[in-house]
Amino acid sequence: MPLSDEEIIARLEELGKRVAEQLLKGIPPYLEIPVRTLKNTIWDEKNKILRLGPAKARREYLDVKSAKKFMQTLLMLSLIIMARREKDYPTIRDLYYMGKHTITYIDVYGRKRQEETWDDQRESNSVIEDIEVATGILREEMGIMHDAKGKIVGNIVVRSKGYLIDCSKMGSGAYAIPPNPDRLEIVKVEADYVLVIEKDAIFERLNEEEFWKRENCLLVTGKGQPDRSTRRMVRRLWEEFGLPVYVLTDADPYGWYIYSVYRSGSISLSYESEKLACPEARFIGVTTSDIKRYNIPRNYIIAATDRDLKRATELMKYPWFKSDAWQYELKLFLKKKEKIEIEALSGHGFKFLSYTYIPEKIEKKLWII
Amino acid sequence: MTILDEILALEEYKGLSPAEFFYRNREIAGFSNPTRALYQTVRELVENSLDATEMFGILPDIYVEVEEINPKENVVSVRVRDNGIGVPPEEAPNVFGRVFYGSKYKLRQSRGIFGLGVKMAVLYAQMTTGKPCEIRTATPKSDYIYSFKILIDISKNKPIIVSKRKEKNTKRWHGTDVRLILEGNWSGSKNRIAEYIKRTAMIAPYANITFRGPGVELIFKRVTKKLPEPPETGKPHPKGVDIELLKQLISGFKNLKEDPPTLQEFLVTCFDSVGTITARRFLEWAGFDPNVRIDKLRIRDLEKLARRMKEYNEWRRPRATPLSPLGEDLLMKGVKEILKAEFVTAVTRKPASYGGHPFIVEVALAWGGEIKPMERPLLLRFANKIPLLYDEGADVSRKVVDNIDWNQYKVKMPAPLAVVTHICSTKVPFKGVGKEAIADVPEIEKEIENAIKEAARRLRRYLSKKEKEMEVKVKYVTITKYADEVARALAIITKRDKEIYLKAIERLVETRILKRGARIKARVRRR
Repeated sequence: MPLSDEEIIARLEELGKRVAEQLLKGIPPYLEIPVRTLKNTIWDEKNKILRLGPAKARREYLDVKSAKKFMQTLLMLSLIIMARREKDYPTIRDLYYMGKHTITYIDVYGRKRQEETWDDQRESNSVIEDIEVATGILREEMGIMHDAKGKIVGNIVVRSKGYLIDCSKMGSGAYAIPPNPDRLEIVKVEADYVLVIEKDAIFERLNEEEFWKRENCLLVTGKGQPDRSTRRMVRRLWEEFGLPVYVLTDADPYGWYIYSVYRSGSISLSYESEKLACPEARFIGVTTSDIKRYNIPRNYIIAATDRDLKRATELMKYPWFKSDAWQYELKLFLKKKEKIEIEALSGHGFKFLSYTYIPEKIEKKLWII
Repeated sequence: MTILDEILALEEYKGLSPAEFFYRNREIAGFSNPTRALYQTVRELVENSLDATEMFGILPDIYVEVEEINPKENVVSVRVRDNGIGVPPEEAPNVFGRVFYGSKYKLRQSRGIFGLGVKMAVLYAQMTTGKPCEIRTATPKSDYIYSFKILIDISKNKPIIVSKRKEKNTKRWHGTDVRLILEGNWSGSKNRIAEYIKRTAMIAPYANITFRGPGVELIFKRVTKKLPEPPETGKPHPKGVDIELLKQLISGFKNLKEDPPTLQEFLVTCFDSVGTITARRFLEWAGFDPNVRIDKLRIRDLEKLARRMKEYNEWRRPRATPLSPLGEDLLMKGVKEILKAEFVTAVTRKPASYGGHPFIVEVALAWGGEIKPMERPLLLRFANKIPLLYDEGADVSRKVVDNIDWNQYKVKMPAPLAVVTHICSTKVPFKGVGKEAIADVPEIEKEIENAIKEAARRLRRYLSKKEKEMEVKVKYVTITKYADEVARALAIITKRDKEIYLKAIERLVETRILKRGARIKARVRRR
């Protein structure tokens, strides 16, 4: 059940009220924020998702090192509460501008100085995430918008603000997944599976060929590292409609990590995994072993950089890459030091990807997990 | 062999007049060129003036003036006037006109020895311009002020009195006023002389010093009326003897023929820190009969005696009474006044000795204020209250200062740090003839190191107190600068008045930051 606005406001206010009470009692005030780092990320083996660990950090006002973050967190909290009370839907960029004030003060040497409440959007975004973990409410639920970049196309009908949208009638375009997919009502789905594509260009090509109609599937892209609404949409299709999810990325450690974000969640947002991850998502490719299996021409093969190799070594250590199949692929990558893009499959003709590669991988269960 | 030994030897064996010797070897006394000579002349006269005042309990008032008489030919005059004990009229010609004549031929710490330098200055002036030395002087309570113009007869080492007159001393003035006309390069020596005057004012904070020269005027007012204890005349320490000294001491007994003392009595009477027991033990060890009469000693006995006295390790330490250190308090005052530092601390070590010569090391550390940050600490060296301006690189103090790990004392280079070292001794071990650098005598090196480390520990305490105070300040600034934002956010969240939160923050800052800061301050002060 989604939370009502009243409940959301009450829970946000609760966080601020604790600080106000501490302060009025003369206790040095602090906020307790769960830590969002790899160290405090737990791999939930049973559910195959990343979860936030129990570690919490005290953000103290009287601590010189955390005073600014403390102020920023309260400032952001007040902005979100105001927006909720007014039923506004600010974007994360709006919040950044609304909270950007110049503080004038006298420094320790008696000089007049100026400081911004935050210097760039990374700082304001970071405190939004802190408020999410501290209250257990996702920012989508708080009515905070972001620049949604996900797209979907196929035999699916949704209702948004009362309007019915048929995603099979988009022509050459696709339906842009809104910032809060939970406000969408999924009216009808007629598909066998969801194919998630890392790259927008490939998505466009498959849409142009009407791949989804031929294969009876839904096509989704998050344009690289997926945003939360794309992931939430995929999650709902898997959870609510039982559709298998297949992921197609480049054959390099960055593509593989994107797969793992769809499947297990990301380190920085592990607190939302339960609502965003698809633990059964299957990776159809491209893998390092595909280079040999599909006899990729040499001129499509790119030499791996040192950064690629370092990243692959890191991936090998993550618990969610510990399956035999993944360990094999990563070892092979480190040995061969070769990577390819999805486009390399066109070395066998432009239709190879949609007519041979994808259907064969799915049919013959050549995916890994 | 020291230079002095050399001179004495020359006087004795070659019949060369000491005045003539100096005349021929003026470089060694620091008169090698018109720049150096002018600087040296000022120095000699100023140091004489300081000795003539402070050693006799008089707060020095010293006036120094350099005038360019004929700039084209580098002719200048130097005038130095003091309020010291003056020179009795019958002594004056010899004091200024005869080498090795003077009141300082005693074993105690003083700036000059034998008044050699002044006579060198007189000689140099006479040699370069032919002008006599002009002197005006009166001793305390003297009814007259005496004026002389004196030249030196170089071959005979005797003063030539060019003119002499006296006037009524109506204002009961006492002191000495000397004027020399010499060849000197003012523009070349100007900065060096100014620096010398400044440093002299630092080591003599009880003196009023005025210095005037073309384009320069420096006035240093005394910052204290406290004078250091004047040194007492001491006896030589047995460890520091040589044959010549033994001969001199023996010849000092007036009725040597009628009532000669025994060797044991001689040691007890003439040497520092030697009692009957010490003397007997030494003589037994050295293989001498304690009862032998000293007039019976032959030259080879004296040679053996001198050697054994040097070798003997059981002598008591020399007494430090002939020394006159400045003391921590005065040194601190002087350094603080001249360097305008934020923090100054001074350490005067207990007396120590090397080779029979007592010495005391004093050190001051000055930090911050007008001192400019430098990669290496600024070093200001003094020996027997004389500033040492040349040959810093060769000085033992530089070596010690550079070997100290300043990080240990919370000093991060470049730092605004000055180190002042002052070595007092009846015999300062100068390196070479320039008398500008002190040799690395291990005993002295150790004392300098200990003194600097002791002072550095105090500096560290000061710096860490400052650091703690800074922490409190930073905390105060950080918390208060966000107060408005925090209060406003809480006011919005709780729908209450912003003022109540501002007040609460103010109270918190008061109790949790400022009171704690005050406690840190109090705790440091109590130490």
